[in-house]
Amino acid sequence: MQSGEQGQTQAVQTTGRSVVVFADDVRGDTVAIAAALRSIAGVSRIAGTLETGMLDPDEAALAEAITFNALGVAVVKADPRRLRGAIAISGTSNGPIVAVEPERIMRAIAHSASAHFSDDEQFTWGLRATGVDTTSATGSAIRIAILDTGLDVGHPDFAGRAITARSFAAGQSADDGQGHGTHCTGSACGSASPAEGRRYGVAAEAEIFVGKVLNDNGAGTDANILAGIDWAITNGCQIISMSLGADVATVSQAYETVGRRALEAGSLIVAAAGNNASRSDGFLGFVGMPANSPSIMAIAAVDSDLKIADFSAASNPAAAGGQVDLAGPGVAVYSSWPMPQRTNTISGTSMATPHVAGIAALIAQKTGARAQALWDALVESAQALDLPATDVGAGLAQAPD
Amino acid sequence: MRRHLTVTVADSHTGALPELAERLARAGMNVDQVLAAVGVITGSADDAQLADIGALDGVGAVEEQSSFQLAPPDADVQ
Repeated sequence: MQSGEQGQTQAVQTTGRSVVVFADDVRGDTVAIAAALRSIAGVSRIAGTLETGMLDPDEAALAEAITFNALGVAVVKADPRRLRGAIAISGTSNGPIVAVEPERIMRAIAHSASAHFSDDEQFTWGLRATGVDTTSATGSAIRIAILDTGLDVGHPDFAGRAITARSFAAGQSADDGQGHGTHCTGSACGSASPAEGRRYGVAAEAEIFVGKVLNDNGAGTDANILAGIDWAITNGCQIISMSLGADVATVSQAYETVGRRALEAGSLIVAAAGNNASRSDGFLGFVGMPANSPSIMAIAAVDSDLKIADFSAASNPAAAGGQVDLAGPGVAVYSSWPMPQRTNTISGTSMATPHVAGIAALIAQKTGARAQALWDALVESAQALDLPATDVGAGLAQAPD
Repeated sequence: MRRHLTVTVADSHTGALPELAERLARAGMNVDQVLAAVGVITGSADDAQLADIGALDGVGAVEEQSSFQLAPPDADVQ
């Protein structure tokens, strides 16, 4: 239940343009900044605060990029994800551009929100915090693929649901011998009225596609995961949820390309940012592979006070990819677990990710948005948090009304 | 050394995966999967064959496969 004030929280709106941040060693170097914009971003018409220290508004209106050379920042008329993709592919991730962020529309905030949620008899704290408790959307006719350790298909909370299951783990059925996949599937699309206990699932009427890409020991390879994505796209899944990652900072060309092709085919991939931070020890971590691909949405974890989780990886300032896009509930998350245990309460960016996947299904059902438009709708409707964008991206994902 | 590979097919060749898979096999790759919807071919090859594989027309990128490992199911953070 929320005891804080909700009145001043609002969705982050973006302009579709990008804010490009340059490395310290080229800050103030007009020539180097312009050269980087030309070669990496393909921008030729540049206006700046160069000669006069003042920006000519007429010139700025026509320009593809406006540079603030002394600040080492430029605003570029290009979609931030496309730009990050271009940088990742160009292999200049250690080059002059250190970050690309969506340009946001800012408003004055009178005072910051404080919030506290907790599980109650009807709902988990995560469903309360994301507005799933009051939404009219169900995810009906939307297909969500959960690529994980499989599902306990005999679990009573999934009785009567449309479930398509396929194993990509050698020698094993799609049944979940680990637990992680059943927990994630529960958060994304568990029942609106489980036989026992509170509701924990977001898109309760979505069609469930269970792809077992991690075996019963929780292990898998690119071959398993890419085959799972291929299967999900082929089956027309509008959302693909991947609560998995490796602590690798380098952007994989395979995942970056596959994320883009998935969007072109109408599928949005969301992935866990990673649990490699230890914030209480001063380590912010970095977004791991495959969530570090600009074409894949990277999800951070917040707790029931809407604070960043200690383990939740931050955007990597040294890499062109590796940005956190959005946050979801990821601490002390109650969801389904293989029988006979039935439920379990655990934490991780793995738990935040299926919440966002489920909310994506609600938005997809309600608005018809798919792929890039669905990504944009998730970002635009997110609740801004009093936390750095490097920790939570646009903020906490929110269900539609 | 034998390596498990992910070959990302270039946009120009996503409509011709079986033909590219045949050329990859002729270049020494043991092809395991041809994934048409994502435009990826997986398999394995020896180090000595990697240069030939990477040079084939239609190959966008060749990367060694990564492994993923979840925390144990009784871990607090997953």
